[in-house]
Amino acid sequence: MDAPRSVDAGPQSFATVAEELLDDVYGYLLYLTKNWAVAEDLTGETFEAAFRTWRRFDPRRGTARAWLLAIARTTALDWFRADARRRRREERASAVDLRPPAETAFGEGFSPELEEGLSALSAGEREVIALRVVLDLDGEETARLLGISATAVSTRLSRALGKLEERMRDHDVVA
Amino acid sequence: MMSSPELERELRATRPVAPPSLRERVRELAVAEPARPALPSWGRLRLPVRRVALVAVPAALALAFASAGVIGLVSSRNVLRDLYSDAASSVMAAPGSGTTATETLDSAALPQGANDQGTRAGALSGTLGPGSPTAAPDRAQRVSATLALEVADSDAVSRAAQETLALTRRLGGYVVSSSVTTGEQGNAQLTVRVPADRVQEAIVGLSGLGRIVSQNVAIDDLQAGVDSSQRRIRSLRAQIALITARLESETLDTETRAKLEARLKTLRTELRVHRRTVSALRAEARMATVAVTVATPDAFGGVVPASRLDRTLDEALNVLAWEAVIALAVLIVLAPFVLLAAGVWLGRRLYRQREEERLLAT
Repeated sequence: MDAPRSVDAGPQSFATVAEELLDDVYGYLLYLTKNWAVAEDLTGETFEAAFRTWRRFDPRRGTARAWLLAIARTTALDWFRADARRRRREERASAVDLRPPAETAFGEGFSPELEEGLSALSAGEREVIALRVVLDLDGEETARLLGISATAVSTRLSRALGKLEERMRDHDVVA
Repeated sequence: MMSSPELERELRATRPVAPPSLRERVRELAVAEPARPALPSWGRLRLPVRRVALVAVPAALALAFASAGVIGLVSSRNVLRDLYSDAASSVMAAPGSGTTATETLDSAALPQGANDQGTRAGALSGTLGPGSPTAAPDRAQRVSATLALEVADSDAVSRAAQETLALTRRLGGYVVSSSVTTGEQGNAQLTVRVPADRVQEAIVGLSGLGRIVSQNVAIDDLQAGVDSSQRRIRSLRAQIALITARLESETLDTETRAKLEARLKTLRTELRVHRRTVSALRAEARMATVAVTVATPDAFGGVVPASRLDRTLDEALNVLAWEAVIALAVLIVLAPFVLLAAGVWLGRRLYRQREEERLLAT
């Protein structure tokens, strides 16, 4: 496991923090939305929001990474809400379900079986994998970000990894 | 087949990297970076609620206790005086009215150690001496004194009563009334009259019989009444002499003589009345009335002089009780609003959690 990166903004500039944490925010949003285009848009929105509130950021109350990820999560949840409303409107407009099949586009670097396995997970499950495994946040930090207990984080991660493992095993069998 | 550690390794290996176009966009955004304020902004000055509560609650409690202690300390100076005034007045029957000058002394006003047998009389005379009302030797004045003494037990009450009677006789006085009750709440109430010029001697002697709880000396000036009666006596005497001379020297008709003799009789009657008044006032002024109450601590209604520390603690507890009452009242008033706000906050939080779970379940 990689050593956790500590980005506590202290006297750091916004540019430095943004440069250092851009991949983390993008990765988190990509896992959450499973769509690289949406993840790019939401990452941009996240940094715009962070830029506006940068003066209010207090490094004594948490790391810049936790702060940025919290903004990213809020931005993503807003997008999920808007998306759900859009889908409901479309459903009401037509008796026939015209919704396009769920787009999955993790982009480069993901093996087909990993991409398929991740797509089968819920956003919540992908989120906890992104935070705990990919970004290597500790249990407490993840719990604070998600607003749940550390035990719940652990349970959710275990279930998500098990499910992903099972999906990938199924993919191997089929292949 | 892939195990969890292998899976985690793969997940980390495929860690997403932001595309260059996004990186460029964020860099452009950061070019116009706002300067972070050197001094803490208002946002940074927001104090965490838990830390504030951790300091504010003990500070408020410390303040409550400190204020109670200070108020208790200040109030304890006045408590004993009030207690003894009430207790003594309930035990003693206050003599006479129309005092022109009074001096009250209670044990709280006595100097430290003044209740010791050896120093009591000195302290008393010192306290009541120059500043206290004293009878003027050339004026007719009624002197009344009340004295409350506390003794250890019922036997001491009897002894003090006997010594009071003996002292009265020794000073040339007499007993007006005497009531001695023995038992757990033993007490003696005696009223004696002693020559006015020896009243100070009587008070000093009586104060040696027990611990002084309270003392009062009152002086009524009777000289004005004496002077008025004497002026009237002189006038009456002159009128009587005039009428007597007329009756002896002049030749008067029967009717006039009868009128003058009737007038003479009236004047002589009035003269006798005024002479008696002057005599009575002087007799009153010659003797002072001293009311003595001797009692055990129980008989004083349990008003035992508590120590300064005890009184301070009592007062402090009293203040604390009032502070608690006020805090409780405020709590009762605010509780519904606090509960309502907490309910709204919890409901909103639950709703948001449910909504997030629903959104992220897809």
